[in-house]
Amino acid sequence: MNRMDRSNEHSREQRMVTASANVSALPEQVHPVFQLDDVSVLYGDFRAVTGATMSIREHEITAFIGPSGCGKTTILRCLNRMNDFIESAKVEGTITYHGVDLYDPAVNSTEVRRRIGMVFQKPNPFPKSIYDNVAYGPRLSGIKKKADLDVVVEKSLRGAALWDEVKDRLKSSGLSLSGGQQQRLCIARAIAVEPDVILMDEPCSALDPIATARIEELMKEIKSEYTIVIVTHNMQQAARVSDRTAFFTTEIGDSDRRTGQLVEFNPTAKMFSNPDDERTEQYVTGRFG
Amino acid sequence: MNDLRPEFHHELDEIRNEIARLGSSVVELIPRVTEILLQQDLEGAEYVLRADDEIDARSIDIEERALTLLALQAPVARDLRQVAAALKLAPEIERSADLCSNICKAARRIYGHGLDPKVRGIIQRMSDQAHQEYKEVIEAYLAVDAVRAAALPDMDSFLDDLQRQFIAQIFESHAAGLIDLQVAVQLALVARFYERLGDHAVNISQRVRYIASGWLPVHDGATRYHQRAIADQPAEEPGGD
Repeated sequence: MNRMDRSNEHSREQRMVTASANVSALPEQVHPVFQLDDVSVLYGDFRAVTGATMSIREHEITAFIGPSGCGKTTILRCLNRMNDFIESAKVEGTITYHGVDLYDPAVNSTEVRRRIGMVFQKPNPFPKSIYDNVAYGPRLSGIKKKADLDVVVEKSLRGAALWDEVKDRLKSSGLSLSGGQQQRLCIARAIAVEPDVILMDEPCSALDPIATARIEELMKEIKSEYTIVIVTHNMQQAARVSDRTAFFTTEIGDSDRRTGQLVEFNPTAKMFSNPDDERTEQYVTGRFG
Repeated sequence: MNDLRPEFHHELDEIRNEIARLGSSVVELIPRVTEILLQQDLEGAEYVLRADDEIDARSIDIEERALTLLALQAPVARDLRQVAAALKLAPEIERSADLCSNICKAARRIYGHGLDPKVRGIIQRMSDQAHQEYKEVIEAYLAVDAVRAAALPDMDSFLDDLQRQFIAQIFESHAAGLIDLQVAVQLALVARFYERLGDHAVNISQRVRYIASGWLPVHDGATRYHQRAIADQPAEEPGGD
């Protein structure tokens, strides 16, 4: 993990520079958090996504949009090696994380998932107390003292904009919360281990508009500390929250099977005002889906 | 490929057609008001002035429809550019129609005064040029043809040149005693009205290019402003690493 640590420090140095910089003014040479080069994902002999190349930058919210089956979630899962759990899945091409090859055999995948957290479509709190949900990760990473855990739990719940709503009932079950609160609890759980990146797989699709708005605000608040990648079916959500948007679609390839591909990756304002690719234009304007 | 939002896209098309219809009204008005001016047709002038209210109402109607689409349909990409352009184009065309009304008002003021052939000739030429520009730009708008639209600034410099010739001719005719001072002042205004019609056509052409490609006009003043803003920035921010 030494290589990873070094490159992470390097990026912290740059943090001062990039945090305040305007997205469009960012110089191209800024070291990306993730660099994907010609990435394809295969499940057995089925090519789910092919040839994705993009840079995901620090302290930005990157949104993946596209019709069902276009491979956006598949690519998201590659970013913290979630695909490791699927026997037949195989990643081709290279994905670097702060300059380190994420799929290098020397890289510890548990450490990858500590640094790169994931929030899922459906809120999935553990059947434990609110406190224990948040303290779960820190305990695993060796924090034992109650006082230290208290600090982490409060900090994380505050970070997820949930503290004021639950501070008086930290012992009640995480499952007793509303859907929107449960999702924020999952975000608190994700940030409790102080990750570098948070991946979100349609985090609002099970939430009502008010809970959705709170999560979106939360994303904008915490992006100064984290890099966020979000998969969303809601194009307006991508437009509202993200700095850059990647549009994926499916092309019918050999033997009539659909393969996802990255069509366009640009600043979000450009994607929704004047996209480069005709297919992006057709998709965002609702002329095909 | 199937359209997922047919009703929304139908309304967008309707707004576009309505803008084109409004623009066509101005295309028809330009030669008509010139004839009114040259023939001293007071009745015709009255008719045009009354009809201007209708154009005002149609322009406001377009704005309202465009705003409704913005509020309810969240248009993006080319659709967004269309709606944004509609909000700019409707007042642009409405103002052009006002200029045609102004020419009619000038016709009323110089009623009874004869115009010498050189002055009449140059009025006709300015009118023809403004008419051609307006016709061209409305066609370019309907066809979303950025290339045709891009020709407008060049066409318009010809109209600007005609205006200068017109002003020189007014001085000459006045000095020769062919027109009196009151008429000379009105004619100078008329020259200005035609010239402004051309400017509106150029503005419309810029919006056509914007719809087609997202291109935004480069304004010298805005460029100077940004350059000054960059020059005024401190060279280095304190505390950076």
